[in-house]
Amino acid sequence: MKAAGLFLIILLTSGMAHAQDFLSCQFAPGWEKSGLKRQYAADNLFDYKDGGAEGYLIFGFVRMQGIDCKSGEDTLTIDVSEMNDADSAYGLFLANRDSSLPVTAIGMGGQVQPQSASFAKGKYYVEMTVIAARPDSDHTPTLKLFLTAIEQRLEGRVTIPEALQWFPKENLTATRMVPESVLGLRLLKRGYVATYKQGQAFVVLEDSPASAAVVMKKLREHFDGASSVQIGDEAFQAKAPYLGGICIFRQGRILAGYANLPDSQQAASQAAQLAARIP
Amino acid sequence: MNSKTSRRDFLSTGLSAGFTLPVMAAGSRMGLWPRESADKTAGSPAKLDFRTLGRTGLKVTTLGFGCMITSDPSVIERAVDIGINYFDTARGYQHGNNERMVGAALGARRKQVILSTKSDAENKAGLLKDLETSLRELNTDYVDIWYLHERGGPSDIRDDMIEAQQLAKKQGKIRFPGVSTHGGQKELLPWLAQKGVFDVVLTAYNFSMDSAMDQAISVAAKSGMGVVAMKVMAGGFRDIKPDNPLYTKLKQDGAMLAALKWVINKSTISTTIPSMTDMDQLDENLQAMAHPFAPSDVKLLAAHLDKISPLYCRMCGECDGDCQKGLPVADVLRFLTYADGYRQFALGRERFLQLTAEQIAVRCGDCADCTVKCPHGVQVQSRMARAQELFA
Repeated sequence: MKAAGLFLIILLTSGMAHAQDFLSCQFAPGWEKSGLKRQYAADNLFDYKDGGAEGYLIFGFVRMQGIDCKSGEDTLTIDVSEMNDADSAYGLFLANRDSSLPVTAIGMGGQVQPQSASFAKGKYYVEMTVIAARPDSDHTPTLKLFLTAIEQRLEGRVTIPEALQWFPKENLTATRMVPESVLGLRLLKRGYVATYKQGQAFVVLEDSPASAAVVMKKLREHFDGASSVQIGDEAFQAKAPYLGGICIFRQGRILAGYANLPDSQQAASQAAQLAARIP
Repeated sequence: MNSKTSRRDFLSTGLSAGFTLPVMAAGSRMGLWPRESADKTAGSPAKLDFRTLGRTGLKVTTLGFGCMITSDPSVIERAVDIGINYFDTARGYQHGNNERMVGAALGARRKQVILSTKSDAENKAGLLKDLETSLRELNTDYVDIWYLHERGGPSDIRDDMIEAQQLAKKQGKIRFPGVSTHGGQKELLPWLAQKGVFDVVLTAYNFSMDSAMDQAISVAAKSGMGVVAMKVMAGGFRDIKPDNPLYTKLKQDGAMLAALKWVINKSTISTTIPSMTDMDQLDENLQAMAHPFAPSDVKLLAAHLDKISPLYCRMCGECDGDCQKGLPVADVLRFLTYADGYRQFALGRERFLQLTAEQIAVRCGDCADCTVKCPHGVQVQSRMARAQELFA
């Protein structure tokens, strides 16, 4: 029994050590740890991020760990946020990335700029910022070293949410996760939105076909003059004051569609193409 | 108002101010007037109230729009249609993506509204660079109010930052300089009022804060600064999480709306900027302009304060019993209140670390029972343990 207990302690201790060692200043030469490790949970993130905490909490923030590293007069801040799930972590990355810059293939996706970097892997969202003595200095090589080392030490999914693959790529300008109220409608709780040169598409995954059908019924009631169209299991098209030509369809537990197009027929046409891409 | 006023007294005072200075009466003194505006979606008119934003002379709706976590531009577009005319964003929100969305949502109607943004840059060059980026992303050639973002005290505001704001104003890129703050208001607001170079202050403010905050805001308002309130609801409810049964109860009971009305009822506040992510929230918050803070709202908010009272030490000095390990219990609970209640984490930790090494090493969770009891129901042992977890 004693041996089994000792084994368990060793196992737990090694697990904890593994979980901790993604935070180190030794991933690039010349950097030393400065100060104590930061730890925040949802109830005190405000103390660190001030009002910016809301932007994390809305995406399902659980906890954050962080350290500061020093090299000369430069300071590198590393923060690793643990989110509810991988979709939330990727959603936070999409919300915070610079949409004018390309996404790097690290984890589920990342970005490196001269003085900052970020990526998402599994349920983790990682941010790094250099507070540089010289405002125009380029720390890209250092950030890449840290990025790679941390990514290797974090476990979790490296593929983007499946729903994002369903959006047609032609004329696509941006995709993002909306943590609540997709299209500004509370009925559509959490989902993905793709913005096109004209209009936007969305995908929301409900828990079951039955719950999706209930939401679909409420949506149909919400839009005056909604008329049925043949897409998926059920669908309607309408013209709405702020969403323009809109078409919403249900396919199993998935609610999806197009909005902000000049007319509802065009929205229905686009929605049919989206439906064909959903397995 | 006495700074030792209890939270319940603070609530009651808020209501009595509403009675003695009804919204309309207060409005007539502050340039407020009612207006009917068509609400295309709901089909019913929304009642809008306006106040003057201090010495800027701008007429702002008492309900503004905090865009920070808004995802869909349609909500902003509808708010503009309804007649809400104050919209707030910041360079740092979603790493600039929020400014871009707000700019696209306002579009050609940008000049119909009052638009504010912020920069958290720490020097003149950084601030001016941020402003250029903000103007480009917002698709405008000026912002109405440009805040120095998240300043926690006078030492966070240096002369070169003021120079940046003055230069931007001279160049016509901003109309009015301001400062935003989440903490340290009791020192910062009187300092800003005395400084006289900032036209607007954006501050966290809600019903759960103590009366000293009310006094600080009053000083700012009397100096002629326009006062914009943020965290008017989330701040007061930040300890109640969605998985807490109380969270649903409070929302169902309309306590969120009561909290918003509590702030709007304060004549020192020109406008508020609650975050809104959907049309339903917009509709709910519009009610705060249509209905004054009422006795039923007092009950809702008082009930909430009762719920959180086991967490908050009132600093009455009436602790029953002494700590067997020599801890100054009232002091440690006060440090925790700095952090949890007033969001002064650094101050709380600083004070905690001034305890002796023996006191800092004590872990209240190791005691079987606590010998100190609070006559008001503060859970002393668990709160002490939280202080040790947070600060030690």
